[in-house]
Amino acid sequence: MNELYQAIEKRKDLKDKMKIIGIGTGNTNFEVDFFRKKYEVPFPLFSDEGYTIHKTMGEVRTPYFIGVRLKGDGSTEVFYSKLGGFSDPKEFLNSMVKLSGI
Amino acid sequence: MTTTKHFSLKWMLGLLVIFIWVSAASGQSPDFKENIYPVGKLKPRDSVLKVKVGELAPDFTLPAVRGGKVTLSQYRGKKNVVLSFVPAAWTPVCSGQWPGYNIAQEFFDQNDAILLGISVDNIPTLYAWTRQMCMGGGKLWFPVLSDFWPHGGVAQKYGILRSDGVSERALFVIDKKGIIRYIDVHDINERPRLEVLVGELEKLNK
Repeated sequence: MNELYQAIEKRKDLKDKMKIIGIGTGNTNFEVDFFRKKYEVPFPLFSDEGYTIHKTMGEVRTPYFIGVRLKGDGSTEVFYSKLGGFSDPKEFLNSMVKLSGI
Repeated sequence: MTTTKHFSLKWMLGLLVIFIWVSAASGQSPDFKENIYPVGKLKPRDSVLKVKVGELAPDFTLPAVRGGKVTLSQYRGKKNVVLSFVPAAWTPVCSGQWPGYNIAQEFFDQNDAILLGISVDNIPTLYAWTRQMCMGGGKLWFPVLSDFWPHGGVAQKYGILRSDGVSERALFVIDKKGIIRYIDVHDINERPRLEVLVGELEKLNK
């Protein structure tokens, strides 16, 4: 995930248009903060101790990725929703760019 | 100025990638695929505790998944001990609790403590389950012990064997003198918060 973040930040065409946030399902603030420090996570992480976000997202298994297009009128559109990690961050980024049409 | 910058960034932003993960998982990791048995909502607690804080922890010897046997009193005078009883392998909350402790090893090390994971499952079951926990690489740093035979004998001794034959989800913090310093017989449906256990470990050194 950190490599994906770096890959986005390095691309001038994406840097200000694509951001990552992480949600720690069932985790407390303490646990998320520990995770952030231990793995030196450079993007914002949020705890979801009460599973509120998790339930809203359909109680997905993890890790789970959701790509959201933020439209100019303030509305949003999901263009990617998939369970499981990835082995190649650049390949994942390319597929996100392609699917989003950014 | 700050407001303007924030406003412009907000409108320039086109995509958001939301990464949902579990650092001390809830048993829903893809490592477990569809292998987790859905137990549903259980009675939070179903046993009567037989030990108290301040008492000498009952000694026991149990077989370990990694081979050999572990005796609680072997740590006397050497290490603080955390006993983590979980109800059963291949069930939702249990499959997340130990991976969480696995990445939080430094909290145990900093407080000169060893963790002993215990369940009433037999060794082959625990072997398969703990291997599945670490499919992403690595292995558990702490011993996992089987309280299978006599069935739930240690859980019975501590008063945390439930009427259906599994143990409670319970934590016992035992100091180097073998004295129980903290007990948490937790709601079986929920994972204990890491910070509470860390706080109890830190108290041992005060």
